[in-house]
Amino acid sequence: MARAEPTPEPPLLPQGAELAAPPTRTKVYASLALALAATLLPWDDGIRWLVPDFTLMALLYWNIRAPRLAGLGAAFTLGLVTDVARGVLMGLNALAYCAATFVILMVQRRLERFDAPRQAFQVAPVLLGKEVLVLTLGLMMGRAEADWRWLAAGVAAALIWLPLAMLVDRITGRPAHPVQHLP
Amino acid sequence: MSPAPHAPLFVREMGLPARFGLYVLLCLFSLALDARYSALSGVRTGLNALLHPLQIALGKPWEWTQNTAGFFVIHGELTAENSQLRRQMDLLRAGGQDRQALLAENERLRGLLALPSRPGITPIVGEILETVPDPFSRKVIINRGASNGLSPGWPVVDAAGLVGQVTRVFPWTAEVTLITDRDQGAPVQNLRNGLRLIVSGQGSDNLLEIRFLDMHADLKPGDWLYTSGIDGLYPAGIPVARVVQTEPPRNTPFARALCQPLGGVGQYRHVAILKPDPAVQAQHAAPPAKAAPTAKHPTDRHGSR
Repeated sequence: MARAEPTPEPPLLPQGAELAAPPTRTKVYASLALALAATLLPWDDGIRWLVPDFTLMALLYWNIRAPRLAGLGAAFTLGLVTDVARGVLMGLNALAYCAATFVILMVQRRLERFDAPRQAFQVAPVLLGKEVLVLTLGLMMGRAEADWRWLAAGVAAALIWLPLAMLVDRITGRPAHPVQHLP
Repeated sequence: MSPAPHAPLFVREMGLPARFGLYVLLCLFSLALDARYSALSGVRTGLNALLHPLQIALGKPWEWTQNTAGFFVIHGELTAENSQLRRQMDLLRAGGQDRQALLAENERLRGLLALPSRPGITPIVGEILETVPDPFSRKVIINRGASNGLSPGWPVVDAAGLVGQVTRVFPWTAEVTLITDRDQGAPVQNLRNGLRLIVSGQGSDNLLEIRFLDMHADLKPGDWLYTSGIDGLYPAGIPVARVVQTEPPRNTPFARALCQPLGGVGQYRHVAILKPDPAVQAQHAAPPAKAAPTAKHPTDRHGSR
C-alpha cells in the first residue's frame, strides 16, 4: 500500500485503489449530470437561496481528481446551461464557474494529494467566492439591488462539501488517504 | 469504460491562464450581447426547449408525493372548506348581480359619452411552474408559451388584481416578471380622482412604490390604484394596488408613496394571461406608438412589438 511508506517522490502512475478504480469519463459526466439535475430540481421558494450549487461542487471535485476530463470547457458549458435554466444573463454563471475552475486548477497538484477534510478547507473560499462573484457581476450589469441572502448558498456548499466529498470518494473508489507528498 | 486521459507526454496546448483568459473573454462577450442587444434570445429559446422537459420530469416525483399526501386530507377539512366555499359563492353571486347592473350602466354611460366600448380581451389561464432562482429579480415561469400563442408584453392577472407581465416567451413556457420586480412598472390611475401615476416594484414581495411623485399630488393612504390603460398594453381597470403610506420629499424634489399590491403576487398557483384583441391592438398601433415607460422593458429587450 502506498500509504504505509510515504515516498519522497510521488509515483508516476496512480497506485493502489486509485489504479483499480480511476476516474473515468462515465463517472465524471454521470455525476456532473446528476449534480446539474439536483440544481434544477424545483426547490421550495423559502429555501431556494440556501440550496448549495451542486453543479459547481461536482465540477470542482472532478477538477481536483480528473482535471483533464473536467476543465474549463466543462465549466463553461455547465455555466451556460445553468444560466439558461435560471433565466439569468447568458454567461454570468459560466464566468463564475470558469473563474472557480481556474483557481482550483492552479492549485490542483496540491489539492489532489489532500484527504477530504483538508480539501474542504481549501475549497470553501472558492465556493463562497463564486456566490460573491455572481452577485457582484449582477450588480455590475446594472441590476439595482441584490438579495445578499444568496451568499448563504456558498456557506451551505462549503459545509456540505466534506460529507459529500467523502461519500463520492467512497463510491468512486478514491483512497481515503491519498499519497502524502512529504518534504 | 474508456480510460481517463492522463497528462500527455508532450504538451501542445495553450497554458492554463491563456485558456482561462479566452473563456473569460467569451463569457464577457456573451454577457454583453445578452444584456445590451438581446442577440442570444434564439440560443436561449433553443436551450430552454431542451431543458424544459427535463425540468418537468425532475419535478414529477415531488408532484406525485404532493398528490398522494393531498389524497389523505381529513374529511372534516373538506366539509369545512365546502361550507366556506358555499358561503363565498353566495357572496360572489350577490356581487355578480351588482356587477351586471354596473356593467349595463357603464355601457349606457359610455354610449351617452360616445366613448368606444371596453376593448375585448381573452384570458388564457396558466399555472405557475416555478419561480426563477435569481437574486436580482422577481420572476415566475408559467406553463403557457409560444405554442399557446403568448407573446411578450401581455399582462398577467389573478382574481384579485394585476400580477405582472409576460417578458420572455419560450416554446412551452413563458417568463412573467412580477410587478414587485424593481424594473417593472405599471401605469395606474387613482380611482378617487383620476390622477395618473406609475407604480413600480421595489424588490420586496408585498410593497410597491410610486417613485417620482409630485409633492403636491393628491394621493392619500387608502386610495385604490387601477390600471389606466393609456399604454395600450394593460387594459384599463385592473386593480393594482392600494396606497399604504405617502412620504414627503426628503432629499429629492419628489415625494414617494408606498402601496400594497392587490393581486396575490407570489401566492397563487394559477394566473390568467390577458390576450389583447388584435382589432384593438391595430387601433392602438395606428397613432404613433406613445408607449408608456412600462412598456419599455419587454419591447426594447426583445423588439417583438
